[in-house]
Amino acid sequence: MSQILELRDVDAFYGQVHALRGVSLRVEEGEIAALLGSNGAGKSTTLKTISGLVRAKGGSIRFLGEEITRLDPHRIVELGIVHVPEGRRVFGALTVLENLELGGFTKRKDPAFTKRTLERVMHLFPRLNERAKQRAGTLSGGEQQMLAMGRALMSDPKLLMLDEPSMGLAPIIVKEIFKIVRQINAEGIPVLLVEQNAKAALKLAHQGYVLETGQITLQNRADLLSQDEKIVKAYLAN
Amino acid sequence: MEMFTQQMINALIIGSFYALIALGYSMVYGIIKLLNFAHGDLYMVGAFVGFAVLSLFGGGTGLLGVVVAFFAALLFGGLLGIGIERVAYRPLLSSPRLTILITAVGVSLVLENGVMKSFGPSFKVYPVQLPTEGFQIFGATLTYAQILIILLSVLLMTALHLFVTRSLYGKAMRAISIDHAATSLMGIPVTRIISLTFFIGSSLAAASGMMAGMYYGQISFMMGFIVGLKAFTAAVIGGIGSIPGAMLGGLVLGLLESFGTVWLGSEWKDVFAFSILILILVLKPTGLLGENVTERM
Ligand SMILES: Nc1ncnc2c1ncn2[C@@H]1O[C@H](COP(=O)(O)OP(=O)(O)O)[C@@H](O)[C@H]1O
Ligand SMILES: [Mg+2]
Repeated sequence: MSQILELRDVDAFYGQVHALRGVSLRVEEGEIAALLGSNGAGKSTTLKTISGLVRAKGGSIRFLGEEITRLDPHRIVELGIVHVPEGRRVFGALTVLENLELGGFTKRKDPAFTKRTLERVMHLFPRLNERAKQRAGTLSGGEQQMLAMGRALMSDPKLLMLDEPSMGLAPIIVKEIFKIVRQINAEGIPVLLVEQNAKAALKLAHQGYVLETGQITLQNRADLLSQDEKIVKAYLAN
Repeated sequence: MEMFTQQMINALIIGSFYALIALGYSMVYGIIKLLNFAHGDLYMVGAFVGFAVLSLFGGGTGLLGVVVAFFAALLFGGLLGIGIERVAYRPLLSSPRLTILITAVGVSLVLENGVMKSFGPSFKVYPVQLPTEGFQIFGATLTYAQILIILLSVLLMTALHLFVTRSLYGKAMRAISIDHAATSLMGIPVTRIISLTFFIGSSLAAASGMMAGMYYGQISFMMGFIVGLKAFTAAVIGGIGSIPGAMLGGLVLGLLESFGTVWLGSEWKDVFAFSILILILVLKPTGLLGENVTERM
């Protein structure tokens, strides 16, 4: 299998705070990789460093064989990495449709693609279709998560990064969201999934990584990780 | 009746000038949360660029000269706006708000003194005066030039409104004013769109300055100061950050000022305008069309 994304010894800081300490991980073609860890472990920082919101201080990040470590966020999106941030961050004062149009910014020169993808997103998330003219701020949490994911699909991602898509959602909605993540992946888009909900994430993922205070402490096939005693004790027991 | 109509015409003209400047104030505030106190000086620079170009054409400037001068002011103002953002504001975007605010005051002083050095401190008489032909309406005189100024302002504002609400770049501007980081995650080059915002806002102010120069017939390096404060007032009245608000605020301020002058005397004009500012800030800080921006979770 070929590699889509590879992080090698990545370090990141917030001022004096050393948030990532030599993180190495990879996402392979067609797979879902889960990045697990407790609050403050550095999961979001890992995604932000990949998408360029946080500049890596050391190490290298390669995407489809290309070095992307020092690129600006919008260049990284153009290459095909799309980051759906923690807390969704939809544009509340804009309509659902406008949010989706902005998601397609990098494809603005290809209106046929945008039209097709918009139809696909509306088909994948019928509720967005119903609420297309509504302001995104009026949507429920689950709908906002769907919008954030739909918006990401608009730019034809070659890697989708989701930061805690289940956060704050009712279990039934979480199930729906995870089903759609599986569906998106089945269509060939690799996913890097950050979750606190380790049990559900490992069920979905092929590969799993555990992050603790900025370091990867465990990595394995997801089915094996979910049987790992340490994991069960730390993240899966309740 | 006659006086009412004359004041109405007056209000529309002043209101248009205020609105065109207020738009830039509001757009820049919306996108980087900066009260750009140098913005009024772009109005002044626009007037001087128009002055310089028209002087170049010499005395017998026809319509062509005026059109060229207008677009020169627009373009020069816009590019100057981009330059100011790039040099003075961008390096400070992540500094405390006060730092960048003080920088804006510094930029204003640089522009005023730069123009004073280049053109001299005295008033300059505009090389071209607007024709005074017109017609009578309800006993008042409405000149063709006045109609042209109002039409041109409406045209510029309509174009801007359509751009911001309909075009993808306009939507990107609104997205940036909500959330910079999330916008960059859409693959949108945030800094380039901020530059574009400065270009548009500054060119509108410069266009307004050029029109004001022709309308009032004389200009000075300090002409942007009080007008800038008034435009700021207009932006606050309408709701800072809101584009329709800036247009409405300009008009409202023009009306209040024109009729306030008649009732209270012209020496009270500025007192009047800034009392309104204070009233709005106390009673409805979000302005007439501004929204209560709810904080994100
Ligand atoms: N903007 C920031 N400024 C300073 N420290 C931060 C910032 N964001 C995160 N941190 C710190 O970096 C560490 C990792 O945070 P984060 O990546 O958000 O963790 P996670 O997503 O795993 O909960 C934490 O110690 C957190 O306090
Ligand atoms: Mg997080």
